[in-house]
Formats: sequence, C-alpha cells, structure tokens
Amino acid sequence: MSEWLNQAITQAQGVSDWLSPKRDLALSALADVRWPTRKTEAWKYTSLRPVEKFSKTAPASFSKASSLTQIDGFECLDLVFENGQFVTDLAELTLPEGLSIQLASQADSAKQADVLSKFSSIKPERHVFGLLNDALVQDVLVIEVADNVSVAPALRLTSILSLAAQAHTRVLVVLGEHAKLTVSEHYQGNEESLNTGFVEYEIGADARLEHYRFALQTGKAVSLGGSHFQLAERADLNSTLVGFGSDLSRVDVDMVHAGENAFAKMNAFYLLDGKELFDLHATVEHAVPHGTTEENIRIIAADQAKAVFNGRIHIHRDAQKTLAELNNRNLLMSNKAEINTKPELEIYADDVRCAHGATVAEIDKKALYYMQSRGISRAKAQVMLNFGFINELIDQMPNQELAEWLRPQMREKFSQMEVK
Amino acid sequence: MSNTNTKDTSSLLTIKDLHASVEEKNILKGLNLDVKPGEVHAIMGPNGAGKSTMGYVLSGREGYSVEQGSALLDGVDILELEAEERARAGLFLAFQYPVEIPGVSNLEFLKASVDAQREARGEGAVSSADFLKLAKAACKQVNLPLAFLKRGVNEGFSGGEKKRNEIMQMLLLQPKVCILDETDSGLDIDALQVVAEGVNSQRSSDRSFVVVTHYQRLLDYIKPDFVHVLADGKIVKSGDASLALELEAQGYAWLQPSDEEGQNA
Ligand SMILES: Nc1ncnc2c1ncn2[C@@H]1O[C@H](COP(=O)(O)OP(=O)(O)OP(=O)(O)O)[C@@H](O)[C@H]1O
Ligand SMILES: [Mg+2]
Repeated sequence: MSEWLNQAITQAQGVSDWLSPKRDLALSALADVRWPTRKTEAWKYTSLRPVEKFSKTAPASFSKASSLTQIDGFECLDLVFENGQFVTDLAELTLPEGLSIQLASQADSAKQADVLSKFSSIKPERHVFGLLNDALVQDVLVIEVADNVSVAPALRLTSILSLAAQAHTRVLVVLGEHAKLTVSEHYQGNEESLNTGFVEYEIGADARLEHYRFALQTGKAVSLGGSHFQLAERADLNSTLVGFGSDLSRVDVDMVHAGENAFAKMNAFYLLDGKELFDLHATVEHAVPHGTTEENIRIIAADQAKAVFNGRIHIHRDAQKTLAELNNRNLLMSNKAEINTKPELEIYADDVRCAHGATVAEIDKKALYYMQSRGISRAKAQVMLNFGFINELIDQMPNQELAEWLRPQMREKFSQMEVK
Repeated sequence: MSNTNTKDTSSLLTIKDLHASVEEKNILKGLNLDVKPGEVHAIMGPNGAGKSTMGYVLSGREGYSVEQGSALLDGVDILELEAEERARAGLFLAFQYPVEIPGVSNLEFLKASVDAQREARGEGAVSSADFLKLAKAACKQVNLPLAFLKRGVNEGFSGGEKKRNEIMQMLLLQPKVCILDETDSGLDIDALQVVAEGVNSQRSSDRSFVVVTHYQRLLDYIKPDFVHVLADGKIVKSGDASLALELEAQGYAWLQPSDEEGQNA
C-alpha cells in the first residue's frame, strides 16, 4: 500500500461530523483495497507514480487571485473551488426560481440526511480515488433543480489549484422531473498539485442535463476524478468531455440507465502532446429496457503522449430493446505516442442493437508535404487536413459559446503538434 | 550552355554537385544545372535515373538527405529551408503523381496556398470573392470544369485532370522557377496542348522552367533552350533542342560509356 494512501487515511480518520457515516464506510472499504499497480486491470496503462511521488506540503494558501476563464457570451453562474475550498459567496448569487445551491454542512439535518442517502449511490464503489474522495472531502456542494424548472444560465463549476495544493471536491446535482440544466465542470491549473473531483448527477424523469467536463489541467497537475450519472425514465443526457492531459489525468464516467427510454450521449475528445497522459474509463449500465446510448471518442496523441480509453457498455439481461453505439477514432501522430483503447460491449439481453468500433489513423505525410510544397505552413496544413477530426465533435457541442471558446484553443494546440 | 564559371547571381536556379540519398540509397550523384531567367530546360533520361528525386530534394520532401552540393534559387540557398519556405521563395514543383487530399476542397487549398505566399511576401490577402474570380479564370485556362474547384484536392481526378490541376496551381502561384515532372504523361492530345499553352502563357524573362519529360512531343509545343540527359543521378549530356530528337531516334544506350568517364557537361 502506498505511503500517500496511508497518510490520506490517517488524515481522514480523525474527523467527525455529519459526513462521518459515509466517511467510515469509505475508510473501511479502503482498508481492503489494494493500491492499484500496473497489474490492476483498471490501471493497466496508467502509472500512479505521480500520486505516489506527490509530497504533501502544508496546505497551500491560494497563491494568486482566482483567475476565471473568460468565455465570451457564455451566460453562467460561477461556483468556484480554490485549492478545494468552496469560495463562492452563495448569499451573493441571485438564483433563478426553482434552483437551489447550498453546502451540505450548512443545511439542516433533514437535508443532510437526504444528501447522505444519495452520496456515493451513483458513483460506484470500485473507483479507488472515488473512495478516497469519499473519505477526504469536508463538504458537499448540493445543487437542486425543482420539478418542471428550466434553468437558463449554465452553472460553471471551476476547480483551480495552485502549487503544492492537494484538493478534494464533491458535488451532488439533482434534477427534478422535467427539469433542465446545463453544468460545465472546469478543472484548471498546471502547477504540481493533486486533486480529486467527483460529481454525482441524479437526472429525474423527463429531465435534461447538458454536461461538460473540461479536464484542462496540464503540466504537473495530477487530476483524478469522475462524473457519474443516473438517468430516470426518459431522462436525456448530453455530455461532452475534453481532455488536455498532464503528468496524470484520469476521469471515470458512469452512466446508469435506471429508468426506461432514457437517452445518453457522450462525446469525448482528447488532444495530447509531449509526455501528457489522459485516461478515460467510461462505463454505461443498461439496467432496464429501451435505453439509448451514443458514445463518440476521438483521440489525437503526438510525441510521447499516452492516451487510454476504456469504454464499457454493459447491457443487463432485462435491458431489451437497448440501442447502444460506441465509436472510437484515433489519430496517432508519432510512433512514440501510445493510444490504448478498449471498447467493450457486454450483452446479456437478446433483443438489442449495438455497435462498437475503434480505428487508428495516421497523418498523411504525403498530403502534408504536397500542401507545404505550395507554401502552406506545416501547422496550417495539419489543421486543414486533420482538425476536422476534432472539430466535428466541437461542432456538436450544444452550447455555441463554449464551442467558440474551445475551438481556437484546440486548433492552436493541434497545430503545434508535430508529426514524427 | 556551361555549368562552370557562371555567376550565380544572374541565374534563377543553380544546382552544384548535388548528392542526395533516400533510405541510405544514393540517387543523385553530382548533379549540376544552371538555369537563367527566361530559359526552358528539358530533362530527359531513363526510368529511375533520379529526375523526380531532383524535384523532391529541391522542394524539400522529408526523407531525402543531401550529402553534398548546393542549390540556389534566385541566389537563396534553399536546401536549409522548410518545404513551405522554398515554395514561398518562388519554387514550384508540378508533381509526377499529384496527391489526393479528400476532405480539403481544391478551392480552399488553392486559396490557402496563394494566401500563404502573399503573406510571406508582405502582400495583403485577396478577398474570397476576388480569389474566386482568379481561380475560375485559371480553371478555364486549363480546361477543367468549374466543379473541380469544389471537389476534394485531386480526389478521384483522372490522371490528365490531375496534371491540369497542377498547371492551374502554377498559374495562380506565379512562381519564379517551375519544375514540371512528367506533366505531359497521361494527357490526351488536346490536354497536351492546353498544358503547353498554359506553360507558354507563363514564359517570361523573369521566370524559368525545368521540364522533365520522356517524350519529344511536348517539346514541339514548349520549345526548350536546352535539353539534358539525366542518367544515374547526374547530367551526362547536354545540348540544344535537337538532342531530344536524337534521343528519340537512338534511345539512351549510346550515352552510357561517357558516364564512366565522369563527364560533367
Ligand atoms: N523511398 C525510396 N526508397 C528506395 N529507393 C527509392 C525511394 N524513392 C526512390 N527510390 C529510387 O530512386 C531512384 C530514382 O527514382 P526517381 O523517381 O527519381 O526516378 P525518375 O528518374 O523520376 O524515374 P521515372 O522516369 O520512372 O519517373 C529509383 O531507382 C527509385 O526506385
Ligand atoms: Mg519520375
């Protein structure tokens, strides 16, 4: 077992508050957990050395004035964590009717009991860093949308870390029946730091959640976390996940079709250069009939970057008439880069329509040369040839402002990536 | 024509003792060529002699290493430059096998090329509307239907259409030195004339052509000032237009012995 984990456990053991029942459960589960190594299937391609090496210094105070990314035209309510501390003054926010946002520690005991009943009921126990987050979080930010309420502004959750910080954040989002909400999770920072950020989403019957997770932590920022969704009848989830990669970035996604006729769509794309690593494990559970899942994963890896994608769709015996599609396309730009991809369909029902596929392509060097021979720069030629690969998914983002904000960053990063 | 005692400054293209290899294999073995403004040089020679390699090395294709020698384009040493910088310096290669680029429209490709070159020269961008007019005119000049501007670059083009597309690019880019690598092969009789007229329309006192061909026929339309035979990586014989006729009649075999004497024009 790792030194780091021991320390984390010791730190959590001393705490006693309203979250203690869940914390104790997590601690006892952790006591039985083996620290993952490269022999652990879920961590086969992703080394935890950056976590093991992470030396926790005194909790850093936030070093600079928080810098929220400017996104032109993006109408949102900002909820900000700095080094794991929730720093938004909720009293200052004017919330639309039917939207409630509170810290569970400050809620009444009835609400706390409600939060406890949902805490880790959507996020599965198998995620080691999810358990750690269970044990280490001090509070839960709770966001609720009442039945039949459409919230117009998006909620932007930003987690920023500064040098040497270690932070653990936890959010619970509950959408009532026929509710509508957009949540955009932003993880940023590039200095040596470690964070776990988990969000659980309960999507009520006929509700619609538009979701984004921008895992844009780069450099030495170690980022482990997950977004976990539970869909009731006819719930509609549209999720976009974007990864830039760092020394270690891992996101676990779970989507559970708990009610019939729900629709889940996830587009994920990552763009990795240098020695960046990004690992996405996505699991979809079809527990009931008539569910639909659509997943598109596109990965570009250059230089010595390493991409991991594990996509599992599990169709239970009763989940007849499931429609599930998992499409994974990859672009490998150097022979030292790695894309480890494993799309898995596990089907126990007999009347389903499912498809999955993965392809790996390379940049067409001849086409690149042909364009250069006409005076077009290599970077521009590369964008003309292959940026469409990512841009198609950016085009599919329902939120135009986020798409316009993301596109130039992706284009710029891609144009700098070299064919080797 | 002489490759010695020539002042480089008056030449548009000067290749001196060029040795180049690909995958450890020596292909160019001491190539010399001197092209003055306004001249047309034809290069003939057996298959595998290194004619296309010359174009690739000059234009900066990856994978070719230059072991020795130099190449100046209008006085600029181009061998150290990136491929796109050589193009911007005024070099144009019409490919023997033009590359298909599905997903990038011909018009977009042409505009990006012209924009990049204009920008490098510090000239303003051409508006899309103005460019479309220029592109349409060039398209008509090489006798391609306008629909070819919308199609993917060379995507599904016939052999002859690809060659005409190369000439269209040349018309739009207005290079200083044009290397045409077997632009005549695969062309029907009418297309040959169209291409030749395209080239002739561009002949001027400040532009030069190096025309690689296997057939005398093209040279009936594009009258060369010099004809060279490139064999085994170097020029083994140079002459005027009559040399092409001689080669057509006799082939290359009679030239081989002179190769061993290390003749250098
Ligand atoms: N990548 C490569 N690896 C090995 N040999 C190569 C490679 N590319 C070219 N060659 C060789 O280099 C030699 C010269 O080729 P090149 O294409 O320049 O000939 P060419 O004179 O243009 O012939 P052609 O008249 O048939 O077009 C040939 O023998 C060819 O097989
Ligand atoms: Mg050739």
